[in-house]
Amino acid sequence: MGQAIVPLRHPYRAAFLAWLVPGLGHFYQGRTGKGWLYAICILSLYLTGFFLGEGKIVYWRWVNPLNNPEKFCLYYLGQFFVGLPALPALIQGTIHYLAPDQNPLFWGFMAEPPQNVLNGLQPRLSKLVEIGTIYTTVAGLLNILAIYDAFEGPAYLDAESPGDATAIVSALSAGEAVKAGGSA
Amino acid sequence: MTMAPANNYWLVLPLVIAISLVYSASRHESWPRIWIHAVRLCLWILGILIGTTALLLLINTQV
Repeated sequence: MGQAIVPLRHPYRAAFLAWLVPGLGHFYQGRTGKGWLYAICILSLYLTGFFLGEGKIVYWRWVNPLNNPEKFCLYYLGQFFVGLPALPALIQGTIHYLAPDQNPLFWGFMAEPPQNVLNGLQPRLSKLVEIGTIYTTVAGLLNILAIYDAFEGPAYLDAESPGDATAIVSALSAGEAVKAGGSA
Repeated sequence: MTMAPANNYWLVLPLVIAISLVYSASRHESWPRIWIHAVRLCLWILGILIGTTALLLLINTQV
């Protein structure tokens, strides 16, 4: 099977786009197949988790994790890497930190829920809150792999014959940002 | 939304499938290799999860 060489167009820009919307960096690089795979897997995982938690499990608050570890939103560190879908939480958290008296934007979408709402989630939804949190966090962590793939290319060159391997090695040694690729 | 507790276990399946597909896609560029790696990884993860669950259930019934 012949191996096409896929140029990794503007790795930094592609990595940023891959963070912004899962799969977008790969669409930008012309790797549409992988772009669809990342977008469908990561976004569906994130959205499923988000709705399992009734939209109340992705939020951020600015606190010092050393002084106040119980209030620190550890899961958001993973969710953040889903990009745009998790970004409103960071904006709401920042607005609340800078202007605590101001009402949250967009009717409180992804703003930190009041404590009584958070306390009410667990008895009502039971394990679904935890499962939703895991889904959204894992989606973000998986997007780190996608971002790295957009930036650096796949881990293996997938050369299937010595001729392919020689072509790849000579292309890499020529200083081109290339990787071996298939039909993607 | 209410779900029977036993149904929650099925929610591990989409998680494992998504992890397998994304991980294998980050390893390879050719689609046949991505699919093969994803299926193998999926079976490995499910096998380990089922094995661990069976072991824990066995220990629990003996205690």
